[in-house]
Amino acid sequence: MTMRGVVLRSPLLLALACVAAVAMVLTSEGLYRRSSAQLDSLTHGRAVRETIQALERSILAAESSQRGYLLTNRQDYLAPYLQALQDTNSALHTLDLHYSGAARPQALLARLHSSTAAKLAELALTIRLHDEKRDAAGIDTILNGIGRDQMAAIRQVSAELLAVETAGVQAGRVDLDRTLLGGRVGVAALSLLSLLVLFLFLRQATLQQRHQQELRRVTLAERDGLDVQVHLRTAQLTELTQHLQSAREDERNRLARDLHDELGALLTSAKLDAARIKSRLTALSPPPREALDRLAHLVGTLNSSIAMGRRIIEDLRPSTLADLGLQATLEILAREFAERSGVQVHCALAAVRLTPTAELVIYRLVQEAVTNISKYARANQVWLSLTAQPGSVALVVRDDGIGFDTSSKRSSAYGLMGMRFRVEAEGGTLAVLSSAGLGTELQVRLPMAVEGVDGVAGGGVDSGVDAVVPQALA
Amino acid sequence: MLPLKTYIVEDSPMIRENLIATLEELVSIQLVGTAEDEVTAVQWLRLPQQQVDLVIIDIFLKAGSGLGVLRAAGGIQHGAKLVVLSNYATPDMRRKCLDLGADRVFDKSHDIDALISYCGELSLAPGTPVGIPSCPPSGPPPGSPSTGGRNGHDPQA
Repeated sequence: MTMRGVVLRSPLLLALACVAAVAMVLTSEGLYRRSSAQLDSLTHGRAVRETIQALERSILAAESSQRGYLLTNRQDYLAPYLQALQDTNSALHTLDLHYSGAARPQALLARLHSSTAAKLAELALTIRLHDEKRDAAGIDTILNGIGRDQMAAIRQVSAELLAVETAGVQAGRVDLDRTLLGGRVGVAALSLLSLLVLFLFLRQATLQQRHQQELRRVTLAERDGLDVQVHLRTAQLTELTQHLQSAREDERNRLARDLHDELGALLTSAKLDAARIKSRLTALSPPPREALDRLAHLVGTLNSSIAMGRRIIEDLRPSTLADLGLQATLEILAREFAERSGVQVHCALAAVRLTPTAELVIYRLVQEAVTNISKYARANQVWLSLTAQPGSVALVVRDDGIGFDTSSKRSSAYGLMGMRFRVEAEGGTLAVLSSAGLGTELQVRLPMAVEGVDGVAGGGVDSGVDAVVPQALA
Repeated sequence: MLPLKTYIVEDSPMIRENLIATLEELVSIQLVGTAEDEVTAVQWLRLPQQQVDLVIIDIFLKAGSGLGVLRAAGGIQHGAKLVVLSNYATPDMRRKCLDLGADRVFDKSHDIDALISYCGELSLAPGTPVGIPSCPPSGPPPGSPSTGGRNGHDPQA
């Protein structure tokens, strides 16, 4: 089963598999994007928290520098103060940027701004009073607690901002968890879907395989059934042919016997009458010459009729086969054919051992072959050979006629087919070699008769009358 | 000239009647009996004091074979001439008949004249051996399959 076959057979499955793959990719991509954005915002939240803490630290640093300067009156404490002022401003600026557009932290940020500004203003005031040598006023300013209150306010606002940020980070974490959970569920679901598709695919493949196996089994069974039928029919045909052939031989025998007995008796009777008439005529004086001549002519006609009758009988039932054997019979057949048709016949006939039926098959085959040659071949020469080979007998009938295309049908093909059946029924083979313009060759091979079988080489010149009589009476 | 006492074994009534009429007319014979099958013929020939000069035997009979008649007659009828008149006078058959004691074998189709002249000579000198007939049996017509071996196998030739 090919992949293509599966795809063509289950477009739905294919679509499902595609959807699963695309969904998997989309899910994973979405997951990546969302979690990445959330991680960004988490990182950003941490930076904001650090900024808030840095702001608080830098205000404290500014305060401690201011205190150091007030106590020691040394200029080098002012540098960290100034640095701290800068840090504070930049932290505020960062927070401004961060919170632009957010509602609730904006209010807190405003309070941070005002508290920081108040605190820094207090620090700047005390330093200015100290520089103007008005330390008492400065100490009052410090002691009245405005700076401490402002500091507390800054701490409180910072704490609130930090709380806001912490809440934001926590919300981000929950969000991220949810996103990740969604991703896990999605991947699990899609994996399940993929498994389902795989399962369906495998099931379909198995079903198809089973279906194909079933189909193959049915086809094989059908073919086997047909084989059996063909064998049966062929056997029946062979049997029928054998039956028809033996029926035909029986009919020929009967006809030959009738001709021999009935026609023979009539002709003998006629000749006896002729003998009596001749005797009467001869006794007359003077003998009637003309009547005697007519009578002689009549006797000649009778003799011709007898000869013709014998020839017909011989054609119907080759008694010479039983009397003289196959060799002599074929020689006679060849000689008569040569005389009748003017075709030159070359015989090379060896003595062979065949069953009587096989001898008859050979005889009929040669009869058929020479009939075909005189009808179609337009041959000048014919070669007839009969040879004994180990275990078999080979007959070859060859002519130098026009030949024919062995693959094309023609009327005499039925004769050949009949001969083939007869040869095969005797356990032999028949081959016809021919092509246009190159003559025709008929090759027959028949199994040699096993010694000791009844009737083998029956007839022949040396055989006794006892062998002849049953055949003639059959 | 005594008529030839003749017994005829022949199953075809047409040939039998015609043969009897012809021989009675042309040759002086006295028909003493006929048979259509082997058993009847042999039984008749075995009857005591049966005296025949000539037995004409067909090979193919209604039942049995002329060969059996020939075999039996040879042992019983000493001095009788045994003649085979057959439509199946192949060289083999001729030899077989002669071996069984037939004096002559005639072909029904070709040797009618020879049979008549043979009987004529017998009637002139019954009981004595008959010499070579004036009219030798003619061969079968051209094309007859028995042509092949006749001359070489016919001891009469």
